[in-house]
Amino acid sequence: MRVIAKIRGGLLDHVRRDLARPQAFAHERVGFLTACVAAVPHGVLLAIRDYLPVADGDYEPDPHVGARIGSSAMRKATQAAYRPPLALVHIHSHGGCGEPRFSPVDLRSADEFAPGFFGPMPRMPHGLIVLSNDSAHGLLWHDSGRKPVRISDFVRVGAPYKRSWGTA
Amino acid sequence: MTWLDRQSFLGEASDDILAGLTVGLVGLGGGGSHLAQQLAHVGVGGFVLVDGDTISLTNLNRLIGGHFADIRRNTRKVDIAERLIKGVNPRARIEKHFKEWQEAADSLKLCDAIISSVDSVRGKDELEGFSRRFLIPFIDQGMDVHHLEETGEYLVAGQVVLSGPGTPCLRCLGIVTEEALEEEGRTYGDAGSKPQVVWPNGVLASTAVGLLMQLVTPWHRNPVDSACLEYDANLNTMLESERFRRRAGKPCPHYDAKDLGDPTFDIRKLPQQVSAHAKPGKPAPAELRPLLILTRMFRWLGKHPNSRM
Repeated sequence: MRVIAKIRGGLLDHVRRDLARPQAFAHERVGFLTACVAAVPHGVLLAIRDYLPVADGDYEPDPHVGARIGSSAMRKATQAAYRPPLALVHIHSHGGCGEPRFSPVDLRSADEFAPGFFGPMPRMPHGLIVLSNDSAHGLLWHDSGRKPVRISDFVRVGAPYKRSWGTA
Repeated sequence: MTWLDRQSFLGEASDDILAGLTVGLVGLGGGGSHLAQQLAHVGVGGFVLVDGDTISLTNLNRLIGGHFADIRRNTRKVDIAERLIKGVNPRARIEKHFKEWQEAADSLKLCDAIISSVDSVRGKDELEGFSRRFLIPFIDQGMDVHHLEETGEYLVAGQVVLSGPGTPCLRCLGIVTEEALEEEGRTYGDAGSKPQVVWPNGVLASTAVGLLMQLVTPWHRNPVDSACLEYDANLNTMLESERFRRRAGKPCPHYDAKDLGDPTFDIRKLPQQVSAHAKPGKPAPAELRPLLILTRMFRWLGKHPNSRM
């Protein structure tokens, strides 16, 4: 199955800048993308609509993980994707170069939270994206009971136009 | 040595970038046929060709790749464009649609760029709206020959517009207006034969190809995501539109940048065959920091009072 994730260049630059900001106690920042969706031949297109950063007050101290966020952050993200129904995609960055990979903890936690998005937004797929400094990798869930599929294409729209989520 | 060696200045990876690109060409007459030819020469690898028309005798003055023998055969314009492209690059990926563009919408959604050479104002308007909804860079080219009653002269003019999400649209630029749409509606089917000639189409198509190249290859130091260039064939000038200059950098009031995708989309109605599973990515190296989000919050989501739509 083909899954294409497209984002406006200016929005992607904004996401990268936000995720790169230091946080008082978490090792990394996280956020949420909302996306409109369309069917395409043999797959779906995610047209990224907006970015919702996680507020400083919504992080919780935990020295064992990169970032821990609380219920308020999840509630805000769900509300942002609820009306009109949008796809909700968790996003964070591992830095470095080349195609990033999820950590085992990323995958374990996503297996728990991504299916939860189907309760309020059952019409939409939901996902998880990790960025490096010049690339991206992602998974998309079709429903709460099935395994995710890999996001096959990342497209940055703007000047320059790139078939990747690299920087300008 | 490759056939693209002489354009290596476009950037280190430009051959691969262009080979991986798929461009939708809507309208393959006088304007679109130039585009097909140039994009094939520059190394674009994929084409979605859309035109529901066949060649006629009066097309021969400007339809690049059209042969006299095609008139007798009533050759489809998509087939002429394919022949033109394959003659340059036999490995090009070509999808042909001998129909209205709306019937080829699924294929156009997958394009990296759409270039319109359609004549009708409504056609331009709808195609731009479609492109914006699916975040596809859109280029429109159009030319006209005007008879100036006072002097008896003919003014040959046209424009090329590069339009993207949030940038000035054809309505902002005065190319699509309610008056023009109404006029077109009144005279629908009664347009007659508009005067057309080969060289302005070539100038406009070359400009459109240049705008696409600066967008997708590393050639240009300061690429732009929107432009409106006006051609005056009488004066031999191609200038940035004054109206575009006034609108550049301001939000487009006609298209909401957040109106994207298909508002009726429902993943539950997606055919089963397109949802084959893929294996998740390999676990990250140990040095990558993990992410953990509280499990109780996911349970909370499942219990949300508005969780059923």
